[in-house]
Amino acid sequence: MPWYLYLALKQLFPTGRKFPFFTAISVLGVALGVALLVISTSVMGGFGYEIRRMIVDTQGEVQVRGEGLIADAAGLQARLATVPGVVATTPFAEGVVGLQYEGKPAYPAMQGIDVNRVGQVVPLERFIRAGRLDDLDDDSIIISSKLALSLGARIGSRVEIYSPLLLEKLKNDEVLLPRELRVVGIFEVGHQQLDSSVVLVTLRSMQELYGLGAAIHGVNVKIAPKLDADVVATRINGALPPAAQARARSWMEANQDFLFILQLEKNMIFFLLTFIIIVSAFSVTSSLLISVVRKTREIGLLGALGARPVQVAACFCFQGLLIGAVGTLAGLGLGLGTLHFRNELVAGFTRLTASEEVLVRFYQFSQLPAHTAPGDVGLIVACSVVISTLAGLLPAWRAARLKPVEALRNE
Amino acid sequence: MNEAILTARGVRKTFMSGDRRLEVLAGVDLDVAAGESVSIRGESGSGKSTLLQLLAGLDAPDAGTLAWAGESDTGTARRGRFLGIVFQSFYLIPELNARENVLMARRILGPIDAAARKRADDLLAKVGLAERAKHLSSQLSGGERQRVAVARALMNSPRLILADEPTGNLDERTGDAVIELLLGLCAETQTALVLVTHNAAHAQKTHRQLVLRSGILVHG
Ligand SMILES: Nc1ncnc2c1ncn2[C@@H]1O[C@H](COP(=O)(O)OP(=O)(O)O)[C@@H](O)[C@H]1O
Ligand SMILES: [Mg+2]
Repeated sequence: MPWYLYLALKQLFPTGRKFPFFTAISVLGVALGVALLVISTSVMGGFGYEIRRMIVDTQGEVQVRGEGLIADAAGLQARLATVPGVVATTPFAEGVVGLQYEGKPAYPAMQGIDVNRVGQVVPLERFIRAGRLDDLDDDSIIISSKLALSLGARIGSRVEIYSPLLLEKLKNDEVLLPRELRVVGIFEVGHQQLDSSVVLVTLRSMQELYGLGAAIHGVNVKIAPKLDADVVATRINGALPPAAQARARSWMEANQDFLFILQLEKNMIFFLLTFIIIVSAFSVTSSLLISVVRKTREIGLLGALGARPVQVAACFCFQGLLIGAVGTLAGLGLGLGTLHFRNELVAGFTRLTASEEVLVRFYQFSQLPAHTAPGDVGLIVACSVVISTLAGLLPAWRAARLKPVEALRNE
Repeated sequence: MNEAILTARGVRKTFMSGDRRLEVLAGVDLDVAAGESVSIRGESGSGKSTLLQLLAGLDAPDAGTLAWAGESDTGTARRGRFLGIVFQSFYLIPELNARENVLMARRILGPIDAAARKRADDLLAKVGLAERAKHLSSQLSGGERQRVAVARALMNSPRLILADEPTGNLDERTGDAVIELLLGLCAETQTALVLVTHNAAHAQKTHRQLVLRSGILVHG
């Protein structure tokens, strides 16, 4: 090992001293910055990841929607099936209905789904908490968990549905008879809004309730793994004749504004928290500068022993790098450890402040999501190590400029 | 014995303090032969340290020439091999123990091997600190620190040792012991020695006694 690296190590971790205080403080500063960056970008990434997953898991990766109603549902699906990259399709119709259970009203968004095909496109089955998706028929309904809770409805409960069509009938002085459906399932996606305001029925029920005949509103599409949703959406649009009056959009395009804000938020947090590392780098600089001043004579002696100024500079630069590397490592450990126990920590915190409700309502999630992207971690590590090494430059330059004669003139 | 290790001719050094010129060295001539020991005495402020720094090649003279074993340039790395320096204030590196301090002189010149480690241990034994090899300088007394510094100066088997008041920070008895050690080791290894000292008794023990007075070296 070159002497300047050896000496840098010794100055940070002196022989025989158990706890190098100077080093520990500097390392801690960098570690805290890195930990904060890792935690916040991971949690931000987790929100984004969860939201993306939820969008894809409920809408499919590509959605084809008509400008109005799509009359020829079978024809559209047959055409979609010929587009390369399309793996499966499932039709849907949707609309708001009035729902009543034991005198309690609600106005959920109703999705009519094709029970036989929906599973090929979105993993609905996975979100069913009680009952079974297979039990869904034209006389039954699956409702979301929060809605079930607020209505007090259970599996087997009978709910009444009022559709806008009934209002039309009312205007014509026809008898107003709500449709009665039996609850056969309760689902929970983990997203506050979906879980409190969505109900599922068969496509046929929906078509009847809204008087659509055989028409649908759109088709959800599953694409082959590893394919880009935007690419497939473009391909589909190329394959659809203008007469179809339908357009395919990837989930990314459909949620463009939202995803943009998500990314922007993440970038802002990254940018702001990087300043923590810069601030801790300043403390590394000042402690190394103090060390250069304290060691003026030793540095002079090294010169007298034959050390070259660049080597002296390298010694201090390397100390910055080492503090950065050790601090980054400790920060990664601290950050990833905190993320690992995040739910326990959040639970403890919310119990202390009795704020769990707020958390769920505000963030739409009952558990704190986290998704650590390797790219983010790489960027954090690189930033932190580079910044800490830069922090060593000024002290290094000061040390290299010291002339042995001047450094040694002490009397 | 007659090979010239160090030659100085007409060496001058002037400092400017404010607008006052201070001529510290006004034409110093000096010859040191291999294995020879020379003492330099002089009042405080007479320029002894300044001269020694020039002799070490750490600073350049305003006028005059210097030659080390016939060469006019020590070269930074060559200096570490050719010269050993002992200062009044020891200058041990506080983070290193005695053995590591001695080895540092070699480390700066390149990688160290088992032979270097053995030499460091032998030198520490010679200066009577075999038992203290693992001690930090803060755990050593002044005399012991200076003995470590002597061992460090000898580490690279230099041809010449320059010692600037090596006993200045030590009590009389400890100082005597260090001088005995320094002279003994230099004689044993045929290393030339220039010893700057205030102590007449110490000066008497060298082969030649010089005095720095009014910027020139005279026989004392
Ligand atoms: N860099 C410098 N600038 C100005 N004056 C100096 C400098 N170095 C030494 N001197 C002066 O030169 C004189 C000789 O100093 P020095 O060689 O340290 O004396 P000694 O070692 O004999 O006590 C002193 O008066 C000192 O103040
Ligand atoms: Mg002096």
